[in-house]
Amino acid sequence: MSLSRIWKVLRKDLALGPRSSIFLWAIVLPFALTLILQVAFGSLFDPKPRLGIVDDGDSSITAAISDMDGIELTLLDDAGEMKAQVEANDLDAGLILPQGFDEAVRNGDRPALQFFVGGESYASNRIILTVTAVDLIREIEGSEAPVTVDVVSFGEAGLPMSRRLIPVIVFYALVMAGLFVPGSNLVEEKEQGTLMSLLVTPVKASEVLIAKWLLGVVLSVVLASASLALNGAFGANWAQVLVVILVAGALSSVLGILAGVYAKDSSIMFAIVKGSGIFLFAPTLFYIFPEWPQWIAKIFPLYWIIEPIWQVSVMGEGLGAVWVELVVALGITAALGAAAWWLAKRMQAQMAGQ
Amino acid sequence: MSRPTSRPAIIRALLKKELTAYSRDLVFLGLTLVVLIAAPFLFHALPDSVDESITLGVYPAIPEMIGDAREALAEMGATEEQLAELDDIDLAAGEEGLALIEFESEERLRGVIEGSLELWRTESGEMVYRDKEAGDKKPEDAERVEPDIGVAFPSDFIAGVAAGKDDLTVTVYSQAGIGEEIQTAMKSFVREAAYQIAGRELPVGMPDEDTIVLGDDRMGDQVTMQERMRPLLLFMVLLMETFSMASLVSTEVLQRTVTAVLVTPAKVGDFLAAKTIFGTLMSLSQALIILVFIGGVTSANWSLILTVLVMGAIMFTGIALFVGAAGKDFMGQLFYAMLFTIPLLIPAISVMFPGSAAPWVKALPSYPIIKVLVDTTAYGGTWGDAWGSLAYAALWLVVLYFAGLFALKRKVETL
Repeated sequence: MSLSRIWKVLRKDLALGPRSSIFLWAIVLPFALTLILQVAFGSLFDPKPRLGIVDDGDSSITAAISDMDGIELTLLDDAGEMKAQVEANDLDAGLILPQGFDEAVRNGDRPALQFFVGGESYASNRIILTVTAVDLIREIEGSEAPVTVDVVSFGEAGLPMSRRLIPVIVFYALVMAGLFVPGSNLVEEKEQGTLMSLLVTPVKASEVLIAKWLLGVVLSVVLASASLALNGAFGANWAQVLVVILVAGALSSVLGILAGVYAKDSSIMFAIVKGSGIFLFAPTLFYIFPEWPQWIAKIFPLYWIIEPIWQVSVMGEGLGAVWVELVVALGITAALGAAAWWLAKRMQAQMAGQ
Repeated sequence: MSRPTSRPAIIRALLKKELTAYSRDLVFLGLTLVVLIAAPFLFHALPDSVDESITLGVYPAIPEMIGDAREALAEMGATEEQLAELDDIDLAAGEEGLALIEFESEERLRGVIEGSLELWRTESGEMVYRDKEAGDKKPEDAERVEPDIGVAFPSDFIAGVAAGKDDLTVTVYSQAGIGEEIQTAMKSFVREAAYQIAGRELPVGMPDEDTIVLGDDRMGDQVTMQERMRPLLLFMVLLMETFSMASLVSTEVLQRTVTAVLVTPAKVGDFLAAKTIFGTLMSLSQALIILVFIGGVTSANWSLILTVLVMGAIMFTGIALFVGAAGKDFMGQLFYAMLFTIPLLIPAISVMFPGSAAPWVKALPSYPIIKVLVDTTAYGGTWGDAWGSLAYAALWLVVLYFAGLFALKRKVETL
C-alpha cells in the first residue's frame, strides 16, 4: 500500500470535489440547518408568550418585562399596528401604556388599562401575561403584598431546545460529508468508468477506498467542527472535542464507503441513504426528547458517535466519560471497514469480468 | 398507406409509456409508497387536541380553605354579608387555562412536583398516589397527572390575609425546568389572590371582557397539531412528486429516448402534453389518496380543496419539467430539485408557527397554495376568502409551468 498514491487520489478528489453538487450540499447544509433549526424550530419547540407594548411614557413595566427571560417582548410605536398584530396572532397580547400611566397609578387615579389578547392565543399565555402585567402595576402602586411568596425549585433546569438540537445539526454534517460525499463519489466513479481506468494504473482498490474514506473523514471533521462552532458548542476542551469528532468522522465515512461499494448507481446510492435515513437519524431524537427511555438509542449505530459529541462538546465532559462509546464506535468502524473491504474485492472481481 | 394517428391516441400511448417507466423506477416508486403509507400514520400519531392550560397543584383544597376561613372569620366577628363573600372566592374562578388539582397534604404536593411520587387519575376520577421506589404498582385504567407547578397555602391563608396578618408565606413548588414565565406568573397569581382577599382593588380600571379579545376567540377550540399538519402533508405529497417526475424527465433527456419518441408520429407538443398530464395526475391522485386517509374534506370545501390541489399539482409539474430539463445526471437533478423545492417548502413550514408569515414568505409561489389549504381545512375558509390567493397562485402557476415547458421544449429540440 502506497501512501503517496493514496494522497494523489485524495488530492484529486479534494480538487474536483467542489464541482459536485453533493459536495456543495455537504458544505452548505450545516449552515442552512443551523439557521433553520436554531432560528425557526427553536422558537417552535420553546414557545414563549409574546407581548407587544406601545409605551409612550417610559413605563417601568416595559423595563421589567424586557428583563424577564420567559416573555418575548416586542416594542411598537403605533397602537393600531399593535392591535393588528395581536389580531393576526403575531402577538399573544398587547399593552398600551400612555404617557403618565405610572404617575397616574401612583397617584391612585385608577387609569384604564388598555390590554388586549389575541383570539388565537392560548389560555395559559393569557393568564401569564395578564397576571404578570397586573402584578407589575401593583408594584408601581407601591403597596406591600399581603403575603410573601417563596419559590422552591427541584432538579436542574432542562437544556433549552436550541442546545438539544445540536446533535441533529452535527448528525447532518456527519452524514452528508462523511457518508454521502465519499459514497456518491465512489458511485460516480463507477458510473463514469473512471474507477476502472484508475484500477488499471498502479493504484490498488484498497488505496482508492482509503483515499475516499479519508475524504469523508476530512470533510466530516471540518463540517462537524464548523457546526459545533456555529452553535457555540466548540468549547474550551477543543482538543477533546476534536478527538470525538475524528472518531465520528471515521465511522460515518466507513458507512459511506460501504454504501458506495455496494451501490451500482446513483439512484441505488440515493435509495440506500434515504432508506437507512431514519435508522441512522433515530438516536438524535433522544436528545430532543430526553424523557424517552434512553437505552433504546444505544441500538442505533450512530448513537456511539453522537453521544460522545454530546457529552464532550455540549455537556463539557472529558474523554474519560465517553471512552466506552469511543471504543464501541471504533469497533463498529473496524467491522464495517472489513465488510467494505470484502465487498470491494467482489466489486473488483465484477469489474474485471466486464 | 396507414391512417394518420390522432393526437389523443398518441398522447394516450405516451402516457402508457410514462406509467411503465414510472413503475420501473424502483427508487421513486418505493419512496412514493413510503410517503403514502407513512403520511396517514404520522397524521394520526399527532396530537388531536391542544392543552392550553397550566396544571396547578394546590394544597389545601379550596373548599377546605374556605371552610376554615369561614370559622376563623366568624370567631373574629365577621358579619353574615362578609362571610357570604367567601363563597365568591375561588382562586381559579373565571381563570380559563388553569387546571386545578387539589392535594391532601403539602408533603404529597411537594413529592409529586419533586418527582418522588406519581399521581394517577382513575376512570372514576379518583386520585391515586404511586411511590415507585416503595414498589407501588401502576393503577389500572388510569392516566398520569403531572402538575406543572404547585402552590401550598398556609391553612389560615384567607383568614390571615383578611385579618392583615403580616407573616403569611405561600410556597410555590416548581421543577427547575418549568419556564420562568410560569413561575413568575404563579407568584403574581398568588399575590393578586391575596390582594383581592384583602379587599385591595386594582389600581387600574380593567377593560370590558368583550373588548379585550381581538379576532375570533378560539380559546378551547385551538387549531391542533393534526389540523396544522394536514395541509402540510398534502403539500409534501405534491412536492415529493416533483422529484420523481423530474427524474423521469431527466432520464429521458439523458438517455435521449425522447429522440426515439420524436421519430414516431409524436410531436414535441404531444411529448410535453403527456408529461404535463402524467405529472399532474400522479401528484393529484396521491394527494387525494392521502386526503382520504387524513380527512378534512366537507361538502362545503371539497371543490375548493380539489381546485387548489389541481393548481398545486400543475405548478409542481412545471417545476419538475424545468428541473428534469436542467439536470445533467441523477445527482445533479437531485441537487436542482432540492434547490427549487426547499424555498417552496418554507411557506409550508411557516404554517407550523403562530402568526402571519413574513412578507418575503408571502411572495413565494407556494404560499397562496398552502394558505388556501390551511384556511380551508383548519379555519373553514370559503371560495369568497380564497379568490385573492387563488388568483395569485394562478399567476405563479402560469409563470412556472410555461418556464418548465419552455426549458424542456428547448432541451428536446437541441438533442
